[in-house]
Amino acid sequence: MKHKKLYLLGAALLLGFAGFSVASFNKALTPYVSFEQARSAGHTVQVAGGLEKGSSSYDAAAGTLDFTLLDPVQKTKLRVSYKGLRPANFEDAISIVAIGSWDPATERLHAEKLLVKCPSKYQGAEVKTYS
Amino acid sequence: MEALARLYLPGALTLWCALAFALSALWGFASVLRSAPGSPEAAVWREFGRRAYVFYALSIVLCALVLLLVLARRDFRVEYVQQYSGLDLPWYFQLAAFWAGQKGSFLIWLLWGSLLGLPLLASLRRAPADEAPVMGLYTLTLLGLLFILVRENPFLMLGSTPTDGAGLNPLLQDNWMVIHPPIMFVGFALSGVPFAFAMAALWRRDFDRWAARAFPWALGGFLVLGTAILMGGYWAYKTLGWGGYWGWDPVENASLVPWLFFTALVHGLYMERTRGRFRRTNFVLATLTYLSVLYGTFLTRSGVLADFSVHSFVDLGISGWLIALMGFFVLLSVGLLAARLRAVPSAPNEDPALSRGAFLTIGSIAIVTCALVVLFGTSAPLLTRFRETPGQVGPSFYNQVNLPLAMLVAFLLGLVPYLTWRGVEGRVLLRRLALPAAGAVIAAIVAVIAGVHSPLHVLYVLLAALALGANLQKTIEKARSGGLASSGGYLTHVGVGIILIGILASAGYDHGAKVTLERGKPTRLEDLTLTFIQSMPRVGHERERMEVAVETADGQTYFAYPKIFLNERTQQLMVNPHIKSSPLRDLYISPLEYDPGQAASDAVTLELKKGQSADAGDVKVRFDGFDLQAEGNALEQMQSGGQVTIGAVLAVERSGAPAAAVRPLYRFRSTGEVEAPPLALPGGGQVALRGINASAGAVQLEVAGVGNAATAAVPAKLSLDVTRKPLIQLVWGGLYVVLAGGLLAAAHRIRQVRTLDALPPSPRG
Repeated sequence: MKHKKLYLLGAALLLGFAGFSVASFNKALTPYVSFEQARSAGHTVQVAGGLEKGSSSYDAAAGTLDFTLLDPVQKTKLRVSYKGLRPANFEDAISIVAIGSWDPATERLHAEKLLVKCPSKYQGAEVKTYS
Repeated sequence: MEALARLYLPGALTLWCALAFALSALWGFASVLRSAPGSPEAAVWREFGRRAYVFYALSIVLCALVLLLVLARRDFRVEYVQQYSGLDLPWYFQLAAFWAGQKGSFLIWLLWGSLLGLPLLASLRRAPADEAPVMGLYTLTLLGLLFILVRENPFLMLGSTPTDGAGLNPLLQDNWMVIHPPIMFVGFALSGVPFAFAMAALWRRDFDRWAARAFPWALGGFLVLGTAILMGGYWAYKTLGWGGYWGWDPVENASLVPWLFFTALVHGLYMERTRGRFRRTNFVLATLTYLSVLYGTFLTRSGVLADFSVHSFVDLGISGWLIALMGFFVLLSVGLLAARLRAVPSAPNEDPALSRGAFLTIGSIAIVTCALVVLFGTSAPLLTRFRETPGQVGPSFYNQVNLPLAMLVAFLLGLVPYLTWRGVEGRVLLRRLALPAAGAVIAAIVAVIAGVHSPLHVLYVLLAALALGANLQKTIEKARSGGLASSGGYLTHVGVGIILIGILASAGYDHGAKVTLERGKPTRLEDLTLTFIQSMPRVGHERERMEVAVETADGQTYFAYPKIFLNERTQQLMVNPHIKSSPLRDLYISPLEYDPGQAASDAVTLELKKGQSADAGDVKVRFDGFDLQAEGNALEQMQSGGQVTIGAVLAVERSGAPAAAVRPLYRFRSTGEVEAPPLALPGGGQVALRGINASAGAVQLEVAGVGNAATAAVPAKLSLDVTRKPLIQLVWGGLYVVLAGGLLAAAHRIRQVRTLDALPPSPRG
């Protein structure tokens, strides 16, 4: 083997890169959690649920949208606060995914991103991402 | 028999014929392999296989035509037609409904695959030894899709005959949608060809010639899939208003990964053709390309991601089929690779470190690594399925991991044009790279002045600019010396350098703000002044537009017309951004919300049950009951499903005057629209029936002009997302250069196959 050292170097680099990938994978992984887990997670998570009817309020001056997510199975609730414009058709959402972290001070999940799924009779029901 | 009665027979028949012919073709080609080479028996079976394949392809073409026909006739008895099309669609969207659903998109994939088999068959006539195994394996790849289609028949009929279909998802009603998916599936179909060549070569232990034959097909796949990805990104950017061209969405990744493998394969085949290297690797790469297409299809179509993401990939119940299909080809290819790969002779790696061979090797490893990490990220929901909390990874993962890979590739691309196979001395290389290097340093300085401060990003710009400059210099040198035909690779690399700069600038240095404009009130946004002029009504096919005056820093004003409108059928809010392009940046104006406001009004709303009365201004209104015979019998109208009209009988009393009967109407159309014309009141003012609560027996009335104090007008408001995307034009421009380079290279390699065909047949042939 002519380039034994170079091969070793290459293999070491690849291994290092694999480690780097796994590390950033774990860091970027936003797990889907229950409302209970979201409150104690301490890092960015995603939760999914339905919108509790009549729970949303939008403060146009501050640009914050507050609403309550409802877990249809566990029957639990989670208050969510999102800074940004209210997504179109928000009140009609059949399912909302909020990505963010729990703020114990305000007792709310501060969402950085919302995925709002509106009812659609179409396959591939459309999803819009807001961040 | 019952199942048979539920099928649209002309379509189902073509599918069954296709299945029969495909199996016959497979049988024919397999029989050639079983008979003695060159025997008359083999010749008969070969002819049988060929003809069966042609008839098979014909059946699939007919099948596609039947689906087109039922779509064109808007035959809503067919479930697929009912689900994805409707009477309101113009003909081109009606035809695009062909690939709007799962079944139709499998059919178009199969259609392209079957059609590609015809030129493949024709080209193999000059290589009789290759014909039967390659065609047999290729038919096998098509059979998998065909099984899925026969099982999930697109010609399933509904029990009834609906008058209209459900319509096409409004997001798909775009001209790009008409051409983007079909092109994507050509790319997917092309991945089967190098795979068939590779597997056949392993099978026959003829390891030498497949590379030359597979090369143009691999380049074709690289080109077509690249074009499709470009179109998809352009579509997302120009019309969807999501603000970007790439979101690392599973569906996008499922096309990117095969394209990266195609790219690696193209480079591997180049190495094999010129240096005899990569001979084993190329078998693996051709396999990975095809398997990644299958795996991506599995991820996005089987519904495995549905539990983890609101991206709805509806499970059609084909997961089992897709897994079986993947499993079969994984076993086949891994088995063949394991059995034969060691027998493949490969030239030893004797490349010096500073040589073209070494750089190509590292570059190919980088591209494969890139494909693998994207695959890794996209599979996150599967990989974490058995963890306590399964999840997915966001764009940050892809951006972080791909940045060093992109920089490595840029570095290699910058040096590779002036490297030779035997290696060059560093000093010679430096001299040749002097001009591009100077250009790259200038580019990096410009970037720093323009606001790029992260050292990593500055280095990235330096490397990308070097890649651009060095390859441009080489392309020009080649063109001058008459070698333009073989400079496709360099030209492609020029494009890659351009794209890399464009991606960093447009994605890493875009900035924008969300702003709410009150109608007629100029609002400052950094150096822009935005004024919402008016909402413009729909004119024919042109949808509702918002007129926004944009005054730039230099005092010039232009009008932007972003669109925001409600799709009547689905009640989805649709958005089209307005993009003002200039060479250095795009100004991207995407509407977020429109509030039409309210004119000043003195209207009061009353809610009355039967017999109740209330005061409004100087009148007293009493609700006496519903009128179900206002415009025909309302109950009958409800049953027949047409327009329903209900009236309210009111007694309106004005101080002093006797009570007058007033009957406002409420018309409810079958489309869901409501019409409630205001009715004049005796003595001035008007009343309209705004709502009916049937269970409570109550009505909601709006009474206006009866002496109430007017409320203040609420101005119309428009919320916009205004983003500046620097140098985004480079992304599109660079992709065009990449594709132009790919075309040049493909033409070059097709000429080489011709040369190969002109040679006397090899002893084994």
